[in-house]
Amino acid sequence: MPLPAKLQEIVDDIASMSREEKLETLIAYAESLPNLPERLKEERSKMESVPECMTPVFIIAEKDEKGGIIFHLDIPPQSPTVRGLASILLNGLNGLSLEEIISVPADFYHPMNLQEAVSQQRINGFIGVLAHMKQAAVKAAS
Amino acid sequence: MSYAHPEFLVDTEWVANHLKDASVRIIESDEDPLLYAIGHIEGAVQVDWFTTLQHPLRRDFLTKEQFEEVASKLGITNDTTVVFYGDKSNWFAAYALWLFQYYGHNNVKIMNGGRIKWEQEKRPLVKDVPSYAATSYKAKEANQSIRAFRNDVFKQLEEKKPLVDVRSPKEYSGELTHMPNYPQEGATRAGHIPTAVSIPWAQAVNEADATFKTPEELRALYEGKNIKADKEIIAYCRIGERSSLTWFVLKYLLGYKNVKNYDGSWTEWGNLVDAPIEK
Repeated sequence: MPLPAKLQEIVDDIASMSREEKLETLIAYAESLPNLPERLKEERSKMESVPECMTPVFIIAEKDEKGGIIFHLDIPPQSPTVRGLASILLNGLNGLSLEEIISVPADFYHPMNLQEAVSQQRINGFIGVLAHMKQAAVKAAS
Repeated sequence: MSYAHPEFLVDTEWVANHLKDASVRIIESDEDPLLYAIGHIEGAVQVDWFTTLQHPLRRDFLTKEQFEEVASKLGITNDTTVVFYGDKSNWFAAYALWLFQYYGHNNVKIMNGGRIKWEQEKRPLVKDVPSYAATSYKAKEANQSIRAFRNDVFKQLEEKKPLVDVRSPKEYSGELTHMPNYPQEGATRAGHIPTAVSIPWAQAVNEADATFKTPEELRALYEGKNIKADKEIIAYCRIGERSSLTWFVLKYLLGYKNVKNYDGSWTEWGNLVDAPIEK
């Protein structure tokens, strides 16, 4: 199954970049990650947490009126790398169906060659975020 | 009671007063390497444990020659006072300081409280990346007295000398926090090195502003677990970064003479065939 179109576009885009461009792009993604909406701040205890990250990462998913899954992430500004990586996932997956989200393979990121810019531990955290976004999506869809 | 070697610590005010001091180089070393690009102390340069300080091929630090090249590019001379600061209560700042000491640069300091305290005090951060005229830095031979390899750890076990595990309680107890089907942090076995006492690194710093605890508090913390000044001590964590903070505390804040950091740490020990593990 091919990757969702938007995610594929991001992967192709980042794959073509130099290391410096990748770092700049990660910062831009980190800065563009929206804050958790006020109405969800009380829900933090119910949110999916990601123990694989050394940074506290919280994920919640909701269904929109068309049945697509919308994610909200809460990641501290002191962790721009984690924010940037998670923001890539948010941009690539928001609004998709549960089936499309579940079908994204854990190794989809390989072509981006992120390991030239960030450490393996970060990439492990990144895969952790994807796995937990899938879980949050399953919860939201049920 | 004061710290044993207070000259290895400066406060944020000291740094703010030395931004233009040519004899001082301020270095940011973070757990999250993008933080520097988002904003750093004026004039500070960056090192990253992963892309700057590690050997590009082997699991090791830079060689002496590679270290000389890095220090030269940062405009550091053998006489420069090098001040480290970073995020997460200075974990990676301590790691970088440890490596500078490994190659014989002794004029090093940590900015107490690191980025957390600097930001709390609303001190300015800038995005301009400074450049300094390159130097020709000469490193000393690696100082093995501050670094433990796995064989040193085996010897430590044989001789019944103390080991300090500075990871979180769950890492120490071997409770896994991973989910099936995706990699976690690179060790195939969980638990700790037999006889190691658990003193999580974070207990050495104040949660509120990331500064180090008082000498009295630190002494009570380590002596309470029988980690005393007259012993030969090896500290470890997962990859050697958090334990370099503990190494700094024991060596410079409490003045212990013989402390080593085992940088192989759990990601080596937890993968070693035939190595004893306790849970």
